[in-house]
Amino acid sequence: MYFGADLLAPNPGLVIWLTVVFLTLLLLMRRFAWGPITSALKTREETIADSLGRAEAALAESRRLQESNQQARREAEQEAQRLMRQARDEADQLRETELQRVRQEIADLRAQAQEQIERDKDNALQALRSEVADLAIQAAERILREQLDADQNRKLVARFMDDFAAGAQRGRTYRA
Amino acid sequence: MRLVVALLWLCAGWTLVGHSAAANAADEDSFDAVHHTADGYYLDLQPIAKIELPRLFIVRSEQEGLQVRFFMSTASAVRSGLMQPDAVYEDHGEDPVDAEALIASGAHLDAHLVPTNGSLILDLSVTRHLIFALIASGIILYLFVSLARRYQAGIGREQAPRGVLQNMFETLIIFLRDKVAIPNLGEDNYERYLPYLLTAFFFILTCNLLGLVPFGATATSNLNITAALAAFTFILTQVNGSKDHWRHVFWPPGMPVLVKFLLIPTEIIGLFTKPIALAIRLFANLTAGHLVILSLIGLIFTFAEMFGPLAGYGVIPVSLGFVLFVFCLELLIAFIQAYIFTILSALFIGMAIAEHSHGEAH
Repeated sequence: MYFGADLLAPNPGLVIWLTVVFLTLLLLMRRFAWGPITSALKTREETIADSLGRAEAALAESRRLQESNQQARREAEQEAQRLMRQARDEADQLRETELQRVRQEIADLRAQAQEQIERDKDNALQALRSEVADLAIQAAERILREQLDADQNRKLVARFMDDFAAGAQRGRTYRA
Repeated sequence: MRLVVALLWLCAGWTLVGHSAAANAADEDSFDAVHHTADGYYLDLQPIAKIELPRLFIVRSEQEGLQVRFFMSTASAVRSGLMQPDAVYEDHGEDPVDAEALIASGAHLDAHLVPTNGSLILDLSVTRHLIFALIASGIILYLFVSLARRYQAGIGREQAPRGVLQNMFETLIIFLRDKVAIPNLGEDNYERYLPYLLTAFFFILTCNLLGLVPFGATATSNLNITAALAAFTFILTQVNGSKDHWRHVFWPPGMPVLVKFLLIPTEIIGLFTKPIALAIRLFANLTAGHLVILSLIGLIFTFAEMFGPLAGYGVIPVSLGFVLFVFCLELLIAFIQAYIFTILSALFIGMAIAEHSHGEAH
């Protein structure tokens, strides 16, 4: 080559130029590019770390809440069961006493009725007895009065027996 | 995936077309890979155009003292008679240069210009690599400022990030913050240096990738540029160095006094080897890839010249296959070198700012 391009040729002018260019570039980049970019990246990383931390906390909180909810539910269930059991027991007891009471009442009523029946029967027997006695006395009276004639006596007795039957019929009708 | 491969083929093919054309135009029958990789005072848009860049000189002369000379192109600088190529001056002694012949040959573009009267103080001319460094700056400024707008609007801050671009760059930014800045600089200090690390990473990455684009040039394959970048790390390291850092350099603890005197110069050299290694590593990696690609393409022409045109055509598929492979490698290297520069910067700064107790011997 005529002038020989030299790879290693020193060129102070170029060094000065490049220093100026690179220094300007460095200052401009620091001010307008790297500043905003690195601060934005930092902000974003902090935001993400923060969000992760918050999410973690929220998760722990929700776990705790769930736990306490479950606890509360278990307690409520137990309470409900206890209440139901209590209610059932009370109902059973109530029914039992009621039943007892009713049974007692029925028994009492039956006893009363029995007594009444007994009393009525006694009364009726009493009445019947006095009636029969009266009738017997009347019959005896008539017999004594009409002793003269056996036939007549027999007729009298037959008539008395008829009267008695009719009387008993009537008496029962009256009683009813 | 298929699209990416197609794109790579296209880029590789383009490199071939562009450079064979450039070789034809610049020097008729020879092809110089170094010429393409090195810096220059023009934009090589061959075969469409070759744009000369403006030249700016600070010159001191006997008559006029210190003055600034500005020309719209190298050609106009040479035509003005105020500036002339350095090498020609040496070759021809005091003879004046035939400016028009020089311009017609195109050789003035690679010439280092010096004033015809007086001496050159500083050549502040805009070079191709500076233009691409500016383009890279523009790209990342546009990309990340618009990205920052999105974040400011709440996308990515309150809401999830949206879109390929935002997700992709966010991944890179977070990777650099969590895997590069924080482990090396510590949770408390990283925020102070993160802007520098991010800027350096994306600037270097963009410069590296621009070299793989048709018509592109790799600003990071220029030692001046990588040295300037490494200087930033160096200055950040020294300015922010802790007391422990300086004590380590000038009075290493836990050593016999005699060893201390041996160690002090070593430590001082060590201060400078770190940024120098940074600069050379980046420069060498990016330059090597380009040289390899161009050499592989050059293989076609070498074969054509040695064994006839048929051999040249026969070698094309082999050569292009290798070019594609190296191209992919370069894509990888673009990322790896940007990452290495950034992580080493973080490491050096981290080592310097670290404050630790010195009960133990080192």
